Parts: sequence; C-alpha cells; structure tokens
Amino acid sequence: MATRFKPDETFRDDFRYANSPAAILRFPFPFGEDVYMYGVNIEPHTRAGSSGAFAVAFDVDEHYVAECAERAQALALEPGRCQVLDHMREAEWDTLELIMESLAADYPDLFVLDRHGDDWTWTNRPLGLHQAFRFGDATTLPHPPFEYIVRQAQGDFTLQDQRDGTLYIDGGITTTPADWTLAFDIGMTFHQWHGPVPLAHQAGVFDRALQYLMRVRYGHPARRLNWTMTINPRLDTSPENYPLWGPDRASLTADTIATRLFLRVELQSFFRLPRSNALLFGIRTYLASLDELTRVPKWGRRLHRVMRDLHPDIAEYKGLTRYRDLLVAYLAQFDDGAPTAPGIAPDIAALPD
Amino acid sequence: MSNRPRYAPLALFSNARAHLLVSDRADLPAAGFAPGCTAADFAERWLVVMQPRVLPRPFDAAGEQRFRSASHLLAALGHRLAAETMGLRLYALGSEQFVWDVARVAHAAGMGAEEMHLFACGRPERRVWCVHCRTINPGVTTTLVACAGCGAMLGVRDHFSRTHNTWMGVQCDAEVPGEVPAIADLPA
Amino acid sequence: MMDSATIDLLVAEATLLSPRLRRVRLLAADGSRLPPAAPGAHITLMLPGGSGARPLRNSYTLVVADPERGYELIVRRAERSRGGSHHIHDRLAPGDVITASVPHNLFALHSQARKHLLIGGGIGVTPLLSFVTRLRETGARFELHQIASPAETGVFAQLLAARAGERIHIHAGRRDFDSAALLAAQPLGTHVYTCGPAALMDDVIAAATALGWPSSHVHREDFGAAGGEPFMLRLARSGIEIAVADDQTMLEAIEAAGVDTPSLCRGGACGVCLVPVREGTPEHRDHFLSAAERDAGCLVMPCVSRSSSALLVLDI
Repeated sequence: MATRFKPDETFRDDFRYANSPAAILRFPFPFGEDVYMYGVNIEPHTRAGSSGAFAVAFDVDEHYVAECAERAQALALEPGRCQVLDHMREAEWDTLELIMESLAADYPDLFVLDRHGDDWTWTNRPLGLHQAFRFGDATTLPHPPFEYIVRQAQGDFTLQDQRDGTLYIDGGITTTPADWTLAFDIGMTFHQWHGPVPLAHQAGVFDRALQYLMRVRYGHPARRLNWTMTINPRLDTSPENYPLWGPDRASLTADTIATRLFLRVELQSFFRLPRSNALLFGIRTYLASLDELTRVPKWGRRLHRVMRDLHPDIAEYKGLTRYRDLLVAYLAQFDDGAPTAPGIAPDIAALPD
Repeated sequence: MSNRPRYAPLALFSNARAHLLVSDRADLPAAGFAPGCTAADFAERWLVVMQPRVLPRPFDAAGEQRFRSASHLLAALGHRLAAETMGLRLYALGSEQFVWDVARVAHAAGMGAEEMHLFACGRPERRVWCVHCRTINPGVTTTLVACAGCGAMLGVRDHFSRTHNTWMGVQCDAEVPGEVPAIADLPA
Repeated sequence: MMDSATIDLLVAEATLLSPRLRRVRLLAADGSRLPPAAPGAHITLMLPGGSGARPLRNSYTLVVADPERGYELIVRRAERSRGGSHHIHDRLAPGDVITASVPHNLFALHSQARKHLLIGGGIGVTPLLSFVTRLRETGARFELHQIASPAETGVFAQLLAARAGERIHIHAGRRDFDSAALLAAQPLGTHVYTCGPAALMDDVIAAATALGWPSSHVHREDFGAAGGEPFMLRLARSGIEIAVADDQTMLEAIEAAGVDTPSLCRGGACGVCLVPVREGTPEHRDHFLSAAERDAGCLVMPCVSRSSSALLVLDI
C-alpha cells in the first residue's frame, strides 16, 4: 500500500488537517440507515466490509505519523493519560505482541518484526524506529510495553480483566477520547463505566453487549462503530481539557460550520489476548469535516436526516444540542429527498467534482 | 444517566461462617436494617464513638467494639481481615464515603462483592474529584461547587468511582463562561 | 491473525507416562510460531472418527503452551469413548498432522486472589499443572492437592516432581482427602479451582458453599456447551430440510445448505438473525429475547440457539 503520510498535520492549536479524496471515500461512515438509535451493532472484525479501514487489524492511514506525534505530545503534557494496574502486566505484553504482529503482517513495507525466542527486533519505518529487546523484560524497552506499542498506533486502547461475570477496565491510554477519562474510570465494571450513556441501559443494550464481549475468542475479534461530533479536528477532547475545547461548541456559525464541524467516528475493536485472557479494546478515531463528507451525495442526504430526527437525549449526551439547529439547517441543502441505499458505503468510486 | 450505587438495607447473608458489622456511627438507624432484622442479629459490631479514650479489641468475637474514629476502625479492619479465614461476611453502615472506604479495605484483603453488604445513610454529601486539576473537594452537598484547587465551577456529575471513592466534577460553564446552571441540593 | 481459526499441528513426540497416560508434544506443521495461551486454556483437536464416521472434536488442556517449544497435552485413555483418546493412545505417532482450534480459555486464574487453592482428581490435574507454572513465575501464594487412585499416586508424584515442594500434596484416593478441613483453613481472599471427576468437583463445591465461600471464589473446569443434540430443521417457505449436527450451529447448517439469512454478531446478542418459529420447541441460548419471548417460543436466534424437539420448522 502506498500511503503518503502527512507528518506536519496537527490536532490542536493551529489544526493543520485535511482528508485526501481517498481518505474521504474510505471513511467509516457510521449511519447505515436514515435514522440512528442505539443497538448492539457488534460484528466480527473480519477483513470484509465496505471500508479499507476494516480490512486490517489496526488501520494505519495517511494521518499515522502526525497522530503518533500528537500522542507523544499529549503524554509529555500528561503522563497520567496512560495507566495500567499491576495485575495486568501479562496483558501489556499481549498487546505489544498483537499490535506488532498485526502491523508487520498487514503493512510489510512499513513494519518488520523479527523474533528468535525471546529476542525480538522491531522496525517502524514511518516513525524511524528500530528497537531490539527481550520479550517479557520491560527493562529492555524505553517505556513499559503497553505504552511503548500504543505510542506507535492510532487511537486509544483499553485493557479489560474478565472476572466475576463482568469486565473491569484495568488499564489503557486515553489521548484521543470523546469526553471520557481513564484516570477517573479505571477499575470500573462495564456497566459502571457506561453509566453516563442515556437510553441504552433501558433497552438492555449493555447487558447484551457485555455477554457478547465476554465470549469473544482468541483469533475471532469483533468490532462496532460509534460516533459523535467535534469542533475542529481535535483528537484530545478529554474532560480534563474541556475548559480549553468547550468554548468551541458555542463558536460555530453558519459560515464556519462546514469546515469546522467534524463527524468523529470511533471504530471500536475487541480482541481476546492469549497469555492474559484479557480483552483489548481498540478505539480508533476518524475525523472528517462536513465539507468533506457532503462531497459524497449519499452521505449528505443521510446526515441531514439522521441529525434532523435524532432523539434529543442522544443529541444532549453527544454534546450537539447547542448547535444542532445550525447543523440541520446547513445540511438541508444536501437533502433533495431522494432515497438512499441501505448500508454505510459511499456507493461511488470517486468524488464528484 | 448514572452509575450511582443503589443501597439495600442490611440483612444477614445465609450460608456464612461469621458476620462483622462496621459503622462510622455510634447509633445504628433502624432504616439501615431490612424488616425483621436488627443490629443485635450481627454477632460482632464495630462502632465509632468519636472520643480518644476507648480501647477496642478487634480480634475478640464479642458483641460491640468501640473505635475512636473511622480511620481508627479502618486500620484495625485491615489487620483483622488479614488474619481471617474464608466464610466471613462484612457489613458497612454509615456515610457513603465510609462504606466505600470499608469496601476498599475488603477488596485489598481479597474479598468480593458477594461477601459484603454496604448501606449508605445520613445526609447526601459527596467527595468531588475535579477532573481538570485532580483536587478532591470533600463534603459537597450541592450540585455545583467551586473547586478548591483551580477555582473552576464544577457540576457534580452522577458518575461515581468506587475505586477512588469520589464523584466526578466537570466545569459547568466551559462552553459559555459565566453561563452557570441553577444550584440545587444533591438528590437524597 | 484475524483469520486464524484453526492450526495444523505436527506431532513431535508422544510418550507413555503410564499405561493410561500419554503425553503428546505438538508443533506448528508449517514450522511457524504457535499462538500463546493463558494457563487453563485448551485446544480442540479434530480426530478421525472410526470407520467412515464424522470426525470427532475433543478438547484437551494445554499443560504447556510455548510458541516455539510447542504445546504439551496429557491424555488419559478413556474406557468408554467415541474413539478420540483411543486414537491418541493407539494410533497417533510422531510425524502425524492434526488440525486443531486456536487456544480458548474457560478456566482462568482470578487476578484478585490472595491465594490459589488447586484441587485436582486424575487427569483433572492438567489445567492445574498449567496454573502452577504461572503461579511459581509470579511468586503467588498457592497450594495444590491431587487426588489419585492408589495405583497412580506414583505417576502423579513423578509428574509433579519438577514442581514439588511443601505446596504440592498427593492423596491416595478420596478417603485420604478431607476437603472440608482444607477449605475451612484457607485465609480470606483464597480462590479454589477444582478439576476432575464430577463427584470430586461437586463435593469440593458443596463443602466450600457450606463453609461460606462465595461463588465468585469457587471455580470449576467446564469445556462449555458449544454443541448439542442433533436435530432436523425445516425451512417452511422453501421446504428445504436440513440435518443440524451436534457440533454445528443452526445458522452454520442453514448457510451450509446454501440458504441466505441475515446475521451480524453471530453470538446471540444483536438480534439480527432472529427468525419466526412455526413448529417445534426452540432451545434458547441467546442474550437478546426476553423471558416472555422465550416462553412463547415463536422466535429463535439460529446463531446460538438449538431445538429441544426433534424437528424445528422456521418461517423462512
């Protein structure tokens, strides 16, 4: 795969960011119908699917180098964003092994993993890294193993310990969160950390999702899509820094909404880790502006309908209420009432001029 | 929109070898016990009398023991649990902060949720963790509080961490500074 | 890695530990690294059934699961069997290639245990052996009690010799083992794990419960109920009749018959595969239908559920 990285992109301060036409067309658009409601939309994470983002275990796209730099900066400012409880040491190594194996297998021109017993050598060409280390010996790596590898992957990750008939979030990294923080949630059960989500509890969504996730088997990962909206292509929309990004929500106007309001999609993936029997959640974040997404006619129509008819509680929880009217008014121009095909695919091979 | 803990009044677990009830109060309210159950049903009861002259015997299995403060009781509890065998049930009755401090000591000793029963009572008061600066603001009784650490006006969210024993506080006027919602008492 | 559901394994070694116990070491047939596994994991081997019968699927604990040195199983020759253990004892030889599932774990160590008490009977010692290896590595507190028939105590003593110490105890027969006394003496925060004959496991669990152990601290090995009784399926609209075998799901059988039916999670949670039932009694194993819907029996989720009646008719 010939990926042209854009290492000078930024996700804070001056926000130098854009999606190429190819990136727009492979964007994991989350709406398969004209109306949105919570459901257990989990499916096997197989190589099939309408977006290239689904074709690999951990997607590396044109923003890879810039996102890794953004993560490094976030951790330099707040090292506490990455935390793993003591009993999850085995899961750290599992994560390192899984991500290294997957990246090397899916992108052999970018990543190389050589192994002789416990003596491993890892090469990350996009970041210019070459590391020899002993698997299982944390003193041979510049960072603890989980932190070491997630610094070279896009998206947040969490580690779940499966015990007592539920999952406990016992480790992870949150530098690209959609308004939640591991610092507060660490140690919670599945239902506890999902406490703030409206409506879904009554519908039993979390009970079913938990049962499914606890049965995820090694070699059979699963995935689902989640979404919200963000002003500016800001990855770090953490509660910690809400005083910094909160004012953006009140700053949108009809003139700026097209280029400054971004659909934020999380491709969540769920992997059973072999040595620890823990679960790794990947939370891969994709950002595309309204301007970019509405270049796909089907998506323009559908976005208008979904946002117009969205349940107010869901809009409130996702932080859209303040600018929702502005959003729906803007999107109306892309909806001519024509029918849309089911499914999330763009249904075009190239963007219209 | 909450992960608020729900508390049921205390009743004796069946199928247990021994029962220990601990409280941060000297008087145990009847409302803390399920119908048909009273404090006397618990073979061992640890109470806090808030005075320094008492000398509790935490390893005696006899009736009531009196402690000088909640901290004094919790320290003894850690030692007691370290010496215990399987089959014990632990009951905590008191302020919300106290019962989750008890749970923390119990978890550290390897006890699980099935071996303990918590009942929080008294006036609703929350320890609020400012997510922006990590300061813990104790004794909060309203839905808004100015953080003692960074000054942010925090909305007290209905999101509780049993591990940190705190509720989450997030700046309530981040989007439009000064646009602060009406303050109210915390729900009971 | 995303597509790895089965692995081809090469038998590297097969040695008799005793007349009824055979140890088998397996490597990847293509020489690649094997997937690692957590203590307590097992693999399912596809073994030939006798004379033309469908292949058997038997699960065995991974006593050792080293990605480079290989997997190690210990198999007991069962008196009454469909032929799986007989094949492993009588016919399996170095150089043979068997297909196996990737490792799966339904019997894992609990991360919050202050002490691990391991109680095994006969071949049930195999997952406990994998536990002991990990517990010694991490310095965790543990104790192992193995109940063996008087004739086999020597075999197990030898098997456990490498890991022996004060913490390993071998009992000659059930009468030599006082589970209640042992359980009563355990410090708070102990988890007990038992694997062996059902009678032993039932006895340990009953004793623990009577002594006030919470269920969260009592663990037994369970290979899980993935399959079930075979049954006949009829699709009412097309008239197609499908025999659902004991080791395939209803959904797999429908798909194998070339019929297209919607599905998504394939794990009983999302509801997409839901189909109406016209005749027969579904055996529900999903997490989606309400209790009332299950009782009514008008809907079923073929990805995980089965049939209690010999014939199930679906309205598709």
